[in-house]
Amino acid sequence: MSDRHITKDRMAEALYGELGPAEKESFDRHLRDCPDCASEYAALEATLRIMDKRERPDPGPEFWNGYWGRLSKRMLWESIEEGRSPSLAARLFRPFARLPRWSLQAAAAAALLLLGILVGSRLIPRPEGPRAVAAGPAAATSAPSSAVAQAGSFIERSKVLLLGLVNYDPATQDPYALDLDGKKAVSRTLAAEAPALRGALKGPGQRRLRELVADLEVIMMQIANLEAGQDLEGVDLIKQGVDRKGIFLKIDLDRMGREARGPAAPPAETARPKKTIA
Amino acid sequence: MDDNAIIDGMARGDQRAFRELVERYKKKVFYLALDMAGNAVDAEDISQDVFLKVYRSFSTFRRGAKLGSWLYRVTYNASIDHLRSKGLAPEPVADEVLESRGGADQAPAQARASDPVAAAETSQLQARIAAALEKISPQEKAVFVLRHYEELKLRDIAETLGLSIGSVKSYLFRAVHKLQKELGGRAGISGLEASHE
Repeated sequence: MSDRHITKDRMAEALYGELGPAEKESFDRHLRDCPDCASEYAALEATLRIMDKRERPDPGPEFWNGYWGRLSKRMLWESIEEGRSPSLAARLFRPFARLPRWSLQAAAAAALLLLGILVGSRLIPRPEGPRAVAAGPAAATSAPSSAVAQAGSFIERSKVLLLGLVNYDPATQDPYALDLDGKKAVSRTLAAEAPALRGALKGPGQRRLRELVADLEVIMMQIANLEAGQDLEGVDLIKQGVDRKGIFLKIDLDRMGREARGPAAPPAETARPKKTIA
Repeated sequence: MDDNAIIDGMARGDQRAFRELVERYKKKVFYLALDMAGNAVDAEDISQDVFLKVYRSFSTFRRGAKLGSWLYRVTYNASIDHLRSKGLAPEPVADEVLESRGGADQAPAQARASDPVAAAETSQLQARIAAALEKISPQEKAVFVLRHYEELKLRDIAETLGLSIGSVKSYLFRAVHKLQKELGGRAGISGLEASHE
């Protein structure tokens, strides 16, 4: 028996056949002379044979066939979320040139929305802000609360829309009960309102409210960009996004904050007539 | 389109090259992420993160490097970030994931379905293997998975993970040694081998 046992590094190399011919010969000779090393090596080899029996789960052809579609959809949405920059959107649009119809429709809808938002935010005068301040002290004091009230209405209407989506269970409900087309129309309206609202929410202590409006704006655009028909996969992704961002928690916290501040922030329902949500 | 053509295409901003890259490497990236994260949902998120990062940061790819190695490294880093965000506590592989086998891999499962005893034993073995893998550190797991399942050479693993070759050998030995212990030691391994031959 040899005085020195085989090193761990050498054992690892031997297990995976990465010893050179001379090293392998020396290794085998040592094992013949050293029962301890031979026993340990045999046990490690047996471990690897057990690990060979491991079955990696295969998600199946449907998963793999849809992989690119899900990735490209995420890329499109993230391009809307992150940049809203035409050059970035244009760069990200190119990968979809060879994609199925839905991706082109989604990209086209996103581009139109972005254009509309851009033009709207530049050309359409905002109802709040500098004009209200210029109108005098009374207007200056009412402007922030008016913006907050409008944001409250925006948030409540968004919440109603989102509740309809997240509560929809495809396993038990008819897809047409979801009325995706109706929700898409409402979401387009809400997404178009959001930029002006964000612009008006510049006051102290309105950062969280402004961020919530921005979050909801992105989600509304995602809903508006859902594939025509019954894009249940897209709905599911939106549900996950709503959940991941804790949107309902933020909405509830915002409402609690507005209620705590009292009548200066009138209830959302009275600030703007609630639209009919189909 | 081979890897060199993909690299050239990506460098030119050719979007078809990006799609080719995704199609070619999606399974390798997904399975490494799955081995690291322990569940398919997180694995898909991680794999998408990887491809988004590749799309946005392809300029950081070093010409002359192996595309596959680079992707493994990005996947490893993304997986580590994911594990850190979960407090380094990867979730065990869910039974339904282990059992939700499809495609070509479905045949053995279907064969087992006619033999409930074999199915139960296999299920038990898979659960033990998954549990054992969860006990080794992320670094050990990455080295083991890349060598044992992806069949990368030790030197390539060192290059991929940015480790010394000595560290790779050390991680690999520790991984196999810990797996042996987690599977019940020498006696336990013998028993498992005997009952699954």
